[in-house]
Amino acid sequence: MEESRKLIVSSSPHIRTPRDTKAIMLDVLIALAPALIASVILFGVWPLVLTAVSVVSCVVFEFLYRKLLKKPNTVGDLSAVVTGVLLAYTLPTTAPWWLPVIGAFFAIVIVKQLFGGLGKNFLNPALAGRAFLVASYAVLMTSWKAANFESVADAATYATPLASLHQGTLSSTGIGAMLLGNTGGCVGEVCSIALLLGGAYLVVRKVISLRIPLSFILTVAVVTFIFPRGNNNFLWMLQNVLSGGLLLGAIFMATDYCTSPVTPKGQVIFGIGCGLITVLIRYFGSYPEGVSYAILVMNLTVWMIDKRTAPRRFGVPGKSLKRKGAGKDKKKEDAKG
Amino acid sequence: MSKLRDFLKPGVTLLAVAVVAALVLGLVNMLTAGRIEAIALETTTEAMQAVLPAESYTDLEVEDDGEINSVYAAAGGGWVVEVTESGSQGTITMMVGVDESLACTGISITDSSETAGLGAVASQASEKGEAFRAQFVGVSGTVSVSKEGGEIDALSGATITSRAVCKGVTAALEYCANLG
Amino acid sequence: MNAKQQLKEGVITNNPVLVQQIGLCATMAISTSLFNGIGMGLSVLIILTCCNVVISLIRKIIPEQVRLAIFVVVIAGFVTIVDLLLQAFVPALSESLGVFIPLIVVNCIIIGRAEAFSSKQSVGASFRDGVFQGLGYTLVLVCMCLIRELLGSGTIGGGLFNGADSFLTLDGTGAGFRIFPETYAAGAMILPVGGFLTLGILMALLQYILRKSGEKKARKEKEGEK
Repeated sequence: MEESRKLIVSSSPHIRTPRDTKAIMLDVLIALAPALIASVILFGVWPLVLTAVSVVSCVVFEFLYRKLLKKPNTVGDLSAVVTGVLLAYTLPTTAPWWLPVIGAFFAIVIVKQLFGGLGKNFLNPALAGRAFLVASYAVLMTSWKAANFESVADAATYATPLASLHQGTLSSTGIGAMLLGNTGGCVGEVCSIALLLGGAYLVVRKVISLRIPLSFILTVAVVTFIFPRGNNNFLWMLQNVLSGGLLLGAIFMATDYCTSPVTPKGQVIFGIGCGLITVLIRYFGSYPEGVSYAILVMNLTVWMIDKRTAPRRFGVPGKSLKRKGAGKDKKKEDAKG
Repeated sequence: MSKLRDFLKPGVTLLAVAVVAALVLGLVNMLTAGRIEAIALETTTEAMQAVLPAESYTDLEVEDDGEINSVYAAAGGGWVVEVTESGSQGTITMMVGVDESLACTGISITDSSETAGLGAVASQASEKGEAFRAQFVGVSGTVSVSKEGGEIDALSGATITSRAVCKGVTAALEYCANLG
Repeated sequence: MNAKQQLKEGVITNNPVLVQQIGLCATMAISTSLFNGIGMGLSVLIILTCCNVVISLIRKIIPEQVRLAIFVVVIAGFVTIVDLLLQAFVPALSESLGVFIPLIVVNCIIIGRAEAFSSKQSVGASFRDGVFQGLGYTLVLVCMCLIRELLGSGTIGGGLFNGADSFLTLDGTGAGFRIFPETYAAGAMILPVGGFLTLGILMALLQYILRKSGEKKARKEKEGEK
């Protein structure tokens, strides 16, 4: 706000949109709320504690870093809050309280601020934070707990639906339970209905377009339908789509503005890439879940996708600003010469 | 004449440097070879002592088939088998002690590159690692993890590593059974 | 070439790892415990000094065309000698550093200093260059080891000290002083990713400090002119 007051605006009518970073982030937070409510109902108060710790540490780290480097403070744009919530959502419901603090430090200081802050980071901070935690605290990041309303034979050897999919067998958890989230998993990923609700809100508010989430989820669905393990294609596909962090990742993380392509065609390519890598990791990787790594890997290709799918500039011949066109022009000139 | 010199000088200098280097290296090798060999022998003996204590071991000089690397007969009866299995990240090499009743007397993992914090625990000197390896003392026949109905509790988050160790122990036991 | 200037160059302004950015591979691979760091650093220091002296001694008879071949023969010779001596007398260090000792042959620091410095300078200056550049390398390694070991396993001085009775153990078996329980240690810092992160941050830090001190100097000079 302060900065805009300093600018000198000249001539012409100008339309100012009230949609600034803060408003968009607020919309994202609203869309994320149902999943947290569902998680508290399903797992008790601990998910709320984890989320609170994560948000507070993200905001504090962002504040301290900007203060230390004497840069304008950006805590007010709520982006650190969103990172905090997303980071907490990717932690198992059994995580100790200090885990999100370390994840927040990595996400905010190393991934986001060292590269210049919001809009300049090339990886999704929350997911990079999760990846660091998985690499560091593998056991803590893979200890699961059954949901409150789930009947479990042996709590000590509890396995999530994703774990049995990783073994190549269908999960005993029903589709209904997966939709409602009555199964073990990460804080914010279990309740599919709450995530879809949030996604619908974001689409209605035009915060995100459907291109990335839809192409991401459809790719996973199609590939798992064509190559099922076991003989029930349809059930295998549904379980793959509804279990793990697919919906959370596709709706809230792959759509992060600064780490996804800007062109419509690029967004579809990005989504398909995420989907393919997810399935590959789930099928052949040593970890059961591939969504977070899929998005991180595709984050690294965004610059390339954007370059390749840049729309044709008006008045410029050829498909786009490709070298091919430039080469032709040069040849012509050579011929003239 | 000067042309020939241009050719010869670099060659001769290089040759001289190489000869001096070779002489010095030969000398150092002569001085250290005995000690290095003694240390290598000591390390293997130590690993063997850990799994099946005996006064001495004789190398049966079996042919390495990719799984069973070498077999030693212990002086007091029983064998020590060096086995290599593929784990989750790379190969795992272990020493397996087998007594005359074809039961495992202990294992020691001499070389592995498993995931830090998960599979790597199997070879560590930590409490968890000791507990994992202690499970193999006394097992016989086909060894497998509890998930597959066996007697070994897999390390949490490291089923593949645990399975590989089970497979190695099974292979060692089987080999000794054939030895008689 | 005065010694003080050479020392400053080797350790700070022309540090082989942080400024010249050579010899990075081994730096990242072995800087996981203090024992490794000091062992590797001293090995490089000794090899670098010996090579520098020998190459400086024979610099006048080395023909231009085969100089690189001669450098490599000298370097490989010294590396093999150190490797054999370590295997015979410090087997724990030899096992811990593994292939990285023989790989010193292709460490850019040594051939880099031979080409850039000792093949042109006097024996005394080359000797000092070897010691100081080696010192710079060792210091960076020790820094990285301290940071990575502390964050990655929660200990300080792994291999060198035995935390339980705080004795100096030179056979690499010491567990180090435990600063915080292993449960909290970020294992990723011991993995290669931790090496990249630590090295990157150290480089940035040194550049920042060098720039700051450069600015200060420039300001002082300006004031002096006035």
